[in-house]
Amino acid sequence: MSVIQTKDLRKTYNDKTIPVHALNGVNLEVKKGEFTAIVGPSGSGKTTLLNVIGGLDEPTSGEVTVNGDNLFNLSESELIDYRLHHIGFVFQAYNLIPVLTALENVSFILQLQGRSSRECKQRSMNLLEEVGLADRVNNRPNELSGGQQQRVAVARALAPHPDFILADEPTANLDSVSSGNLLDMMAELNEKEDMTFIFSTHDQRVIDRARRVVTLVDGKIDNDEVRNQ
Amino acid sequence: MGSVLIGVWAGIFITAFSTGMTEQYIQNQLNTYVGHIQIHNPKYLSENLPRYNIENPDSLIDALKSKPFVTHMAVHSEVQGLAMSSANTFGVSITGIDTTEEKNISTVYRQLTEGSYLGGKAKNPVIIGRELAGELDLRLRSKLVLNFQDINNDISAGSFRVVGIFNTNNSTFDKQNVFILKSDLDRLLGKSGIVQEVVLRVDNHKQAPSYAQQLQSEFPSLKIQSWGDIAPELRYADVSMDYTMYIFMGVLILALTLGIINTMLMAVMERTKEIGMLMAVGMNRTRIFGMILTETFYLIFVAVPVGLGLGWLTVTLLAETGIDLSAFSQGLSAYGISSVIYPQLKSMHYLTISVMMAIAAVFASLYPAWKALTLKPVNAIRKL
Repeated sequence: MSVIQTKDLRKTYNDKTIPVHALNGVNLEVKKGEFTAIVGPSGSGKTTLLNVIGGLDEPTSGEVTVNGDNLFNLSESELIDYRLHHIGFVFQAYNLIPVLTALENVSFILQLQGRSSRECKQRSMNLLEEVGLADRVNNRPNELSGGQQQRVAVARALAPHPDFILADEPTANLDSVSSGNLLDMMAELNEKEDMTFIFSTHDQRVIDRARRVVTLVDGKIDNDEVRNQ
Repeated sequence: MGSVLIGVWAGIFITAFSTGMTEQYIQNQLNTYVGHIQIHNPKYLSENLPRYNIENPDSLIDALKSKPFVTHMAVHSEVQGLAMSSANTFGVSITGIDTTEEKNISTVYRQLTEGSYLGGKAKNPVIIGRELAGELDLRLRSKLVLNFQDINNDISAGSFRVVGIFNTNNSTFDKQNVFILKSDLDRLLGKSGIVQEVVLRVDNHKQAPSYAQQLQSEFPSLKIQSWGDIAPELRYADVSMDYTMYIFMGVLILALTLGIINTMLMAVMERTKEIGMLMAVGMNRTRIFGMILTETFYLIFVAVPVGLGLGWLTVTLLAETGIDLSAFSQGLSAYGISSVIYPQLKSMHYLTISVMMAIAAVFASLYPAWKALTLKPVNAIRKL
């Protein structure tokens, strides 16, 4: 079953001066449970593709369908609501709220969804335990290592039971040990919970762990390799 | 938060200082020489000749004594003349007073810096201001000759002995006024019991204009003026005090509003990525708007009460001890202002400031909140 489908997706920046075609007709289908890496040289359109799939940026033309819903037929408030309930985001720079503890950083997403405080706390505790941070729930981001912060970010992304997780270069700021641990954890979540992951990366270790590797060049899919692992 | 707190404190303090200074200025003048209401023969005010005195003063005095709003009264004989010493000559206003009555309407007796008040054993005593003493090179026990026209338009003169020198914080008053016993002046003017001026103090000086109007209709042949008519600069100061205060408050609130906008804009700009992330993960615009508004209110409702409290504390303490500006006393006394200022602020004004702050806070929070809403998550976080 396909979770995400893009049809002839195009995105052009600065179209009144010198047009830059960040996406140049991308057709991509991602099925449930895939562990997909989007790779390619800088400026190939990886981040733009993830932004558009995540409903953060509008395409110049083309369609993005998530579970059968065309994202850009939704109003702005419906799109925000859609992101809250259906998409998990992991950012390169973690983007945790510095004044909140790990537990609060995870549970505020659930609070936005209107869950009870008891439910928020329980699920956040479970998720932090799942990502191996049961003993750091009351620590603020500045008291955690980069790897631990990224684990909190993954727990936050998982909190709303999303249909898929988008991660933009999730290991870019991590050392090799932390990157390995994070990848192990994401792979385990993918296998155990059938969670769909799509991440952009330059990191060869990430690419080696991916079960599908989509290569973008000049805003087009140059290669789409599915591996059997 | 510190800037808002200091802004509120400074606003309270400056407003209280200004109010205290103006109120003291008015009270000083009323207590020193103006009184609350003055009664004259209308011609005396235009001609300044002693023959234009009040006719049948006893019946007027009896009528005034029966008025419940009159708390104190003093009658003066008065004439314009020359004060001459061996060193110099100067034009002055010579007032003949009854010392017992006078102490109830004027504080000059408390402002003697040398010597004593009238009423001692000395013959033909006079008290003069420090400024006049300087002009005429007079000291205690110096001889002073007063020269003026009597009620028959003849020249009259008397030799007086300086028994006291006063300093009223109003250098102009101190230079232009001398006080002698009424009996001495009456004798020189040529008629005993003559009255050129009646000065009243009433139960509430703010009511003086309406009391004066009431008396004027009762005594149409006399000119009855309240302190605002006698000294228009005092009425102007009284009226302008409120306006000045509102201008101070307006400036304070404008500065605070800009301070809040600046603080909150900084907070929004510093947290662009965080706000972008919140929008990306699904925090809607209403919540973002509410969040910035709440943070602004938090800033206001912590900083403003603390600033108000500190302001109140400062004003309360300084209202007891006063602010000593003796270093500027010469300049201040030229304007009739004491060298020790006692700040004061009515409790109503604290409330007014609080309410105006709250309104300003609402407006001040709108722009940063709107600015936060205009952020696009994709730009704010730069990269997903």
